[in-house]
Amino acid sequence: MAKAISNLFKKTVTDSFLFKDSELETISVQLKEKVDKVFGRSLAIRELDTGSDNSTEIELNNLSTPYYDVERFGVSFVASPRHADVLIVTGAITRNMEIAAKKTYDAMPAPKFVVAVGDDACGCGILNNSYAVLGGADKIFKVDLKIPGNPPSPREILKGLLALINAIEKGQKN
Amino acid sequence: MTLKEELKKLFGQKLELAAGQNNELYLPLTEAELQKAIKNMAENSFELVSLFCVENFAEKGFTLFYAFEKSGFEEMLVLQTLLSGNHAVSIAKTFPSACWYEREVTDGFGVEFQDAFDTRRLFLHETYPSDFHPLLKSFKNAKVETATPNNQNQYLFKQVEGEGVYQIPVGPVHAGIIEPGHFRFSVIGETVFNLEVRLFYKHRGLEKLAEGMKPQECVRIAESISGDETAANAVAFCTAVEKICGLVVPKRALQLRTIWLELERIYSHLGDLAGMCVDVAYPVGASPFFILREEIFRQNDALTSSRFLKGIITVGGLTKAVPEGVLENLSLYLLSFSEKLNAATGIDSTYFSVIDRFETTGKVKEEILSPLHITGPVARASGKMTDTRINHPYGLYTELKLKGQTQQNGDVLARFNLKAAEVLDSVKIIQRIISELAGGEVSAPCQIKDGYALSIVESPRGQNIHWVQIKNGLLDRYKVRTASFCNWQAMEHAVLGNIVPDFPLINKSMNLSYAGTDM
Repeated sequence: MAKAISNLFKKTVTDSFLFKDSELETISVQLKEKVDKVFGRSLAIRELDTGSDNSTEIELNNLSTPYYDVERFGVSFVASPRHADVLIVTGAITRNMEIAAKKTYDAMPAPKFVVAVGDDACGCGILNNSYAVLGGADKIFKVDLKIPGNPPSPREILKGLLALINAIEKGQKN
Repeated sequence: MTLKEELKKLFGQKLELAAGQNNELYLPLTEAELQKAIKNMAENSFELVSLFCVENFAEKGFTLFYAFEKSGFEEMLVLQTLLSGNHAVSIAKTFPSACWYEREVTDGFGVEFQDAFDTRRLFLHETYPSDFHPLLKSFKNAKVETATPNNQNQYLFKQVEGEGVYQIPVGPVHAGIIEPGHFRFSVIGETVFNLEVRLFYKHRGLEKLAEGMKPQECVRIAESISGDETAANAVAFCTAVEKICGLVVPKRALQLRTIWLELERIYSHLGDLAGMCVDVAYPVGASPFFILREEIFRQNDALTSSRFLKGIITVGGLTKAVPEGVLENLSLYLLSFSEKLNAATGIDSTYFSVIDRFETTGKVKEEILSPLHITGPVARASGKMTDTRINHPYGLYTELKLKGQTQQNGDVLARFNLKAAEVLDSVKIIQRIISELAGGEVSAPCQIKDGYALSIVESPRGQNIHWVQIKNGLLDRYKVRTASFCNWQAMEHAVLGNIVPDFPLINKSMNLSYAGTDM
């Protein structure tokens, strides 16, 4: 008991983490506002890899690391498609993933939105002539927004999400 | 002793080698001779490094290549045999790692292996027609009909039966931001009794796509094999082409390439260190690694305009020079790097709840390393000193004379400590190269010639091997085997006897690439 109480007064073991990134701050303030307004303070994203080279997943994962930490703005990556508002598709749709990809989309409740992230998912990659892929995400989904890049940086992905929410707010997407 | 002398002992005076590049010995054999030679290889502790097929190599028909290495020899041995038809004899009973290769050859070329113990399809899943073989020269890359999955073409998993045994199917779509793959656990209570990994959901047909491309264009294919092995695969591919064309890459380009390779290892290992902490519910411990990793990504971006070092490496050197002042910044940044890393690993690797989960978890036993050709940190953490940078030095590593790291226990903790130590080594390598950096050009003019060559590099995950054949100035066959392709089979062994909730941790500690396996 004494030990537990003394723990309360110990010096913190975490270091303060100082960095300033004004561009990121501007994007994130807007993003937070829009998520609050349009998505009732919580935007849930399900990521679906349909055949990427794994760099796009790394950048999406980076969004949850200390430099970006998007949960601060109400954006979270969820484990089940049943909890998701947005499906982020990375990579070209491979034949071997086609069925699983469709099932994932079907499991999402409406209204739902699809965002293609990375050149291959946007249909502008190098794989289109391969027997093994169907093409970009728009071959099997109605894609609401494309964020190209090989891969796009976390910052570009955030800008893309902001653009999506703006379009939804204006009623351009449904 | 050279490998040639060793082979003379094994094969007697009959030894007739085909033309090959530096450090590669090609030995053409008849099908019958090959079977004898395979036994010979196994008895003399050669390790199967790769097995692949080429159509219309020197003569019409299918030629199989069996690449071997033996510890203590820098050279690689490649046995080649021309098949009289589309049948061969399986060597999987002698070299278990051949199982996946043979299934791959059957899918790609329709070559069937007698006595194979597993004849299921590998990278072609149920929706591909049954008589479809994409790597045949007669198949011109185009979309093919879709077959419907049914009872006949269904993929059958191993069935484990008994009281209380049940199966847990996981994937291909997983709960996090992870690549797709299917894991079939057979479990008793909480303990894993058997695991079968089914991959290739991300099969993108990269090898076929490369055929007919100009070597310079194909670097882009090499880079997209696995995004976080961009530099390793680009260097491997370019080295093979440079060998074929007899190109001499300028010293400065070799040095900078080595910096990219080590930066890649640093950010990759940092991601694993962080991931292991996250998977034992210790995000505070993960944060310092994530912060350092993001900083390395930003250094990459400043150096090459790509956070993943894409588009900088090309045949003959680099596509562009490094901007002024950026290398100095990197060098300054690295001064305080090791201290920060040590502070983080010091806390994590002694924290009781972390140790409780890391220690004795996911043990990779020493006896499976050679039969399955396990390489990279997974092998080194189990006590085997295998590192391509040291065993088969290439590029600048021929001069650097590195000493490798090993750990003995083979569990998650060993892999954690090993990766932390390797990051520190990589930092030292980069600092040393920057201090010795040569001036001058970063690319040599390149004249593409015809021929074939093999090239191996140490990616963050282990040994990647590329085999390139150029005909009429264009790629005729491009075969890649990444470390993950072999190391996935270690996973099936490492989880046995562990509880299911430890699987994500074991998976993260090995950090295998799905994209790099599925190709």
